[in-house]
Amino acid sequence: MKPDIDRFLDVAAAYLMMELAPTLGSGYTQSNVGILGMMLAAVREEFDRAASRRVEENRAMRRLFGEAAPVVQDPVLQQRLHEAAQGDEADFAISALERSNASLRQTLIDLQIHVEGIDTPQARRVEEAIWRELAASTERRRLMMGPF
Amino acid sequence: MSSLESRLAAYIASKLPHATDLHVHSLDRIFGGASRETYRFVLSYREGDEELSRRLILRRDPPGSLIETERVVEFGAYRAFYGTAVPVPEALWLEEEADWLDYPFFVMEELHGLESSPQLLLGPPYSDYAERLAEQKWTILGEISKADPVALGLDRVMEAVNPDQCWQRELAHWEKSIDEDELCPQPVIRAAIRWLRRNPPPPAQKISVVHADYRTGNFLYDTEGNIRAILDWEMAHLGDPLEDLAWGLNPVWRWAHDERAGGLARDEDAIRIWEKASGLRADPVALHWWKVFSSVKGQAIWVSSAKEFTEGKNQDLILALSGWLMQNSQDRAVLAELGHLS
Repeated sequence: MKPDIDRFLDVAAAYLMMELAPTLGSGYTQSNVGILGMMLAAVREEFDRAASRRVEENRAMRRLFGEAAPVVQDPVLQQRLHEAAQGDEADFAISALERSNASLRQTLIDLQIHVEGIDTPQARRVEEAIWRELAASTERRRLMMGPF
Repeated sequence: MSSLESRLAAYIASKLPHATDLHVHSLDRIFGGASRETYRFVLSYREGDEELSRRLILRRDPPGSLIETERVVEFGAYRAFYGTAVPVPEALWLEEEADWLDYPFFVMEELHGLESSPQLLLGPPYSDYAERLAEQKWTILGEISKADPVALGLDRVMEAVNPDQCWQRELAHWEKSIDEDELCPQPVIRAAIRWLRRNPPPPAQKISVVHADYRTGNFLYDTEGNIRAILDWEMAHLGDPLEDLAWGLNPVWRWAHDERAGGLARDEDAIRIWEKASGLRADPVALHWWKVFSSVKGQAIWVSSAKEFTEGKNQDLILALSGWLMQNSQDRAVLAELGHLS
């Protein structure tokens, strides 16, 4: 699509925040137009990376599950990890990637709970790997406008 | 006159039986957070030969609410602190029935010509007053923390809690909120919740009134750098005073994008001011627990805001924005507090 979507969103966000919002008398309406402008700026940031960051994150979790599976003592969870580790993305629509991501993140939670209850050096290494992935995931999702 | 103006006028007339020629006008919705619809308006009436006019605020429950809040508690807190060292507007009437304005509401004084925006504080003339505002902000919080809830009468509207149970009650409350409202798994905050349960804090040193949303953005200030009112008491409760201190130190309120809590002061300075004003101690281990907790609570609020907007219960745009912008920052904040953010 031309003009590029990020260009359009840049212009639209700037128009709402810099030109339209200051002309509005009502505090509430003015605030809402400002919020719309901020949201367009956030959409602009997310639009280009939306698929790639989800694919990257899903693959990182699948890799982690493959490495963690031998440490897991619960056979049901171990099987879930094996299956998740062997999967890959077949549909790159954001909604499909988001569904995979939610399923994998729930598995990650279950894995973390499990290894927190195991007192071995291997479990600690898996736990550390999970924290690293959680930090990496948070960085992938970061929005420039976020307050922290 | 709008329908809301005329209905509001009818309500106020019922509260002012000696008033005649009573009018509500200039009703205008203002930005007042997502937990209540907030309107400013002007009330004009005659009492005997005297013509009176007053700027007032209407806080009405919305169809859906970001936070499940008790307006009785909010109204009660305004009433209790009015005229004390904790500046608040005068709260006038509380109406819990939906007959008058479709939803429950209360009316309070408008303190006109003041600002609440955290962003405005970053530029002149306000940026010159950061230290002054910080001194007042955490001194006032110290006053809230050291206040006696029983003497204020707030034990009648706020649920009692034992010092060793404050953390459990608050954590259970906000965890339940996440359980009910999360639209997708939250691994960072779930890990933080388990950490909080494995590492309980010491009992509260006293049971205080906890404002529960005490941060830059929830007070009114003037152009001379004076805090004129503390607002948004809708989550107030009895509990550990460190809950309030930790909430205001959360990195998501670092509006200046530097290390200053609330865009005003470094953590150590805020803590020093609060300790001096309250006569209480911010035990580092306990404060660390409450800082981690503050991110769990914050995330619960953002998760709920995302759900409210997604389900269409409340289409206030601030809910969508907070769902987008704040969830990632909140995860980063708790990762940093737990030492997992490089």
